Amino acid sequence: MTKQKNDWGFFLTTISLFSGILFFFPILWLVLSSFKGSGELFAYPLNFLPQEFTLENYQRVINNGFFQYVYNSFVIAIVGTVITVVINSMCGYALAVYRKKIGYTGFVSGIFLLGMLIPSETLVISQFSVISFLGMYNSIWGVILPVVTTTTGIFMYRQFFIGVPDSFIEAARMDGASEAKIFLKIMLPLAKPTTITLIIFSFMWRWNDFILPLLVLSTQNQYTIQIAIRNYISAWTTDWSSILAGSVISMIPITVLFIVLQKYIVGTNLASGNK
Amino acid sequence: MLSMYEKTKINVRKKKSRDTRYYVSFWLFILPCAALFVLFFVVPLFLNIINSFFNYDGFRTREFIGFSNYVQLFSDRDFYNALYRTLMYTVVSLPFKIFIPLGLAALLVSKTTKLKTITRSLIYLPVLLSSLVVGLTINWMFSEQYGLVNYLLQQMGMNGINWATEPFFARLLVIIASTWASTGFYMLIYIGALNGVSEDVYEAAQIDGANTFKSFFKITIPLIKPTTFLVSLLSIISLLKEYALVQGITRGGPGTATTYVVQYILTTGFDQSKHGYASAASVVVMLIFAMIALIQYKFTNGGELND
Repeated sequence: MTKQKNDWGFFLTTISLFSGILFFFPILWLVLSSFKGSGELFAYPLNFLPQEFTLENYQRVINNGFFQYVYNSFVIAIVGTVITVVINSMCGYALAVYRKKIGYTGFVSGIFLLGMLIPSETLVISQFSVISFLGMYNSIWGVILPVVTTTTGIFMYRQFFIGVPDSFIEAARMDGASEAKIFLKIMLPLAKPTTITLIIFSFMWRWNDFILPLLVLSTQNQYTIQIAIRNYISAWTTDWSSILAGSVISMIPITVLFIVLQKYIVGTNLASGNK
Repeated sequence: MLSMYEKTKINVRKKKSRDTRYYVSFWLFILPCAALFVLFFVVPLFLNIINSFFNYDGFRTREFIGFSNYVQLFSDRDFYNALYRTLMYTVVSLPFKIFIPLGLAALLVSKTTKLKTITRSLIYLPVLLSSLVVGLTINWMFSEQYGLVNYLLQQMGMNGINWATEPFFARLLVIIASTWASTGFYMLIYIGALNGVSEDVYEAAQIDGANTFKSFFKITIPLIKPTTFLVSLLSIISLLKEYALVQGITRGGPGTATTYVVQYILTTGFDQSKHGYASAASVVVMLIFAMIALIQYKFTNGGELND
């Protein structure tokens, strides 16, 4: 009986681990390739490990000003994330705690939900007109401000604050605390796991954003990493050496952030986390 | 001593000022989100509808032309080919987006499986990448000339596959990339759902003589139906708007074999400066999304907004 169970466990472990490696393999292959020189990248036979470990691909993108793009991406991701956390927590909080005091919070929530169901990809042409009209063309604000109101963020906070007992807030109100103080001093610290989850998500979204930066940022010194990588592909040639190094660099910050904070992601309701 | 009447009056006044305080606080709290939402979502939404009735190039020319854009749109083969292609892509990809994560989640909640954390992280890793990099990573694996996959095929004595020049394989590649990048995310959702199924249910099934497979198909799958609905919905929405991923692999080619509808809108609107016409196309696509939203609303009791 036990023997049979062990065999079964071994079988399941093998399949799942094999799947894991299969999913990881393309990334591994990309990373290993990025350390190969052009002589090795474009010649048969292919080797799994670099025969001659080289940083020439990385030197190439760095000499082409890649650090500027990294910096731009960081600025956009950090500023965007700070704004997202601040305003989404406020909004989600209000939609949760006033739902019994004010009749139309459900309606307001429904309107925000539309933002998830009608993706901005279908609105991007008119969004672009608004951005230009506001003078945000070729400015980081044109990339940040349109996307900081996130349905996911608002509803993550809303869901969390609905779970906090009303007596908590009522007690604070009895003590004469202002609404702002209750939010800042009592409620927001309680929502720390939600905040951390949203920080990870928001940073990732902004870091990986593609369409808006592509349309809004027009001068090269404003480009984000994604746009820089995209520009390594032209109609005639694909500069794989630069793409490989650039892609690997682009993976580092999110992977680090994820590894450091991943214990917070597990156990969070991920069902709300897509956008 | 205050009379009963006066007491009530004071209470009413107190309640009134408290109510005002709640209304003011509520609106102040949601103001930043609401303002930006109106500015960058609601306004574009209406602008889009208005522009769809104009001949508009995005700069100067702007004349009202009624339904002409729509009339032209429905005789525009490029448009409904792109739309049809997008729908086909969604329908064909959907099963992969559901069954692969479900299978892996089932493996990873089984008590007999070992090394679960590392496996879960390995599968989740592609989720962190940008769609563009996802596309490029798969593109690099499957590149016709220097790709690992074709190399391995040749080592095994087969011919390399023309991944980029044959429409069938180009489409397959996009499906592979998109499935690869989303599996980890949906798997985590399924793991959450599977962990939520009570142990008692399985014990009862075991007593009744059901084996593991039987209880999985007959009990677990029906129980996690809401999760499957959610995963399908999220998948459909993200498949219909696929864009950046394709830019990393085929850029819409060969020809227009992988040109999906968002790319069609962007090309028409910006590269060809047909803002009004592209807006009309957007409105049609938006209606499709609105329909999906409506279905979701019907199925989930008004979006489960009443907690």
